[in-house]
Amino acid sequence: MNIKEYIDSGIVEYVVLGLAKPQDRAEFEQLCITYPELVQAREAFEAKLEDFYIQQTSTIVLPAELRLRFTEAMENSSINQTPTKVFAMENSNRPRRTNWLAVASVILLIACAYFAYQFYSQNETLKKANAELQQKADSTDAILQQIIAEQKVFKDSNVTVVSMEGTKVAPRSSANVYWDSTNSSVFLVVKNMPKLPSDQQYQLWALIDGKPKDLGVFDSEQEKLILKMKGTQKAEAFAITIEKKGGNPSPTLEKMQSLGKTKAPL
Amino acid sequence: MPTTKTYTEQQLVSLLKTRDNQAFGYLYDHYSGALYTIIVQILSDVELANDVLQEVFINIWRKIDSYDHNKGRLFTWMLNIARNASIDTLRSKTYQNDRKNQPMPGMVDEPMMPGQASHLNIDNIGFRKVLSQLKDDQRILIDLAYFKGYTHEEIATIQQIPLGTVKTRIRNALIQLREFLK
Repeated sequence: MNIKEYIDSGIVEYVVLGLAKPQDRAEFEQLCITYPELVQAREAFEAKLEDFYIQQTSTIVLPAELRLRFTEAMENSSINQTPTKVFAMENSNRPRRTNWLAVASVILLIACAYFAYQFYSQNETLKKANAELQQKADSTDAILQQIIAEQKVFKDSNVTVVSMEGTKVAPRSSANVYWDSTNSSVFLVVKNMPKLPSDQQYQLWALIDGKPKDLGVFDSEQEKLILKMKGTQKAEAFAITIEKKGGNPSPTLEKMQSLGKTKAPL
Repeated sequence: MPTTKTYTEQQLVSLLKTRDNQAFGYLYDHYSGALYTIIVQILSDVELANDVLQEVFINIWRKIDSYDHNKGRLFTWMLNIARNASIDTLRSKTYQNDRKNQPMPGMVDEPMMPGQASHLNIDNIGFRKVLSQLKDDQRILIDLAYFKGYTHEEIATIQQIPLGTVKTRIRNALIQLREFLK
């Protein structure tokens, strides 16, 4: 093939300007591989054409809005079903965002867990403190109610106060018995009773028609100011004896510590 | 706004293939005027040319991977995209309908588009300017082939001249064009 003749046929211009038929174009491209002078001719015409266009159009100023539209379209290119490489660009942003979100949510989770634990333990502490306070209030209230009840004994006009004097065996022993004959209640206030061995206790007796009636046992040292004893409807006198721990069915009279007579039946 | 940085064609192409936004900005600033010129010269409608230019750059952005530098320069590739898009628009139904009620210049009598892009004054630049140096019978044929996208066979029918004559005239015209550009 005479390549110079081929070039002179105008094929270069046909191809470059896009006027060549597909088969002519394919033949041209094939020949370019073999003939470097064909490539040279093509490149020379292309360069001239480009220079000519650029030179003549360099003063054309297009509306800035057009460039902006193109830039925006490029940036939103994912909508325009662009090829895979565009997705690669997007991906370079995505993991960073995901990481940031993951880190943020982990921090949030930890913070939530911390506060939840704080509130829980604070609540538990408060509940415990509250329960303790309630318990204290309850026992204080019980004590107060008891004191009020005991107080009534002293005030009550139906109550007979029997002063228990020490006997010869125990001259310093003294106690008061408060006896309400209307409801048979018997209360004892220990003033001074000598301490006993641990296997012994004092026992209070009511004497009815000369016979002793057990009204219960007590110790020399009392937490309570007033002891509620067993009740009795009748009593000519009250007596305190020393008995074995837990008391005896009948008094050991030689160990009688104190005796007090009620006024009424005398 | 225009980028001041310059690239060699090789650098530019490899950056464009990575979808580098700055490189595309440079491409736009450097070539939009030339591509706009050919679009307006084909469509002779400035507003429509704006849309087609937009479409052309989007197509360049999308198709850049298919560009093969062994087959020609980047500008040649882009110029052909612009020319093809413009001719497609020229032939589209909507364009034809829009034109129906307007005085349409006869293909034969007035192959040069009247009043095209008058406010941009780009009637006679680029390839069109070179065309003006041709003899009338050559210029008409190149205009039909290049700016209207007719095949040689179509031109032969329109011009009522033998196909062989069409081929000879166009070839001679192109060879002259090469000389004018030198």
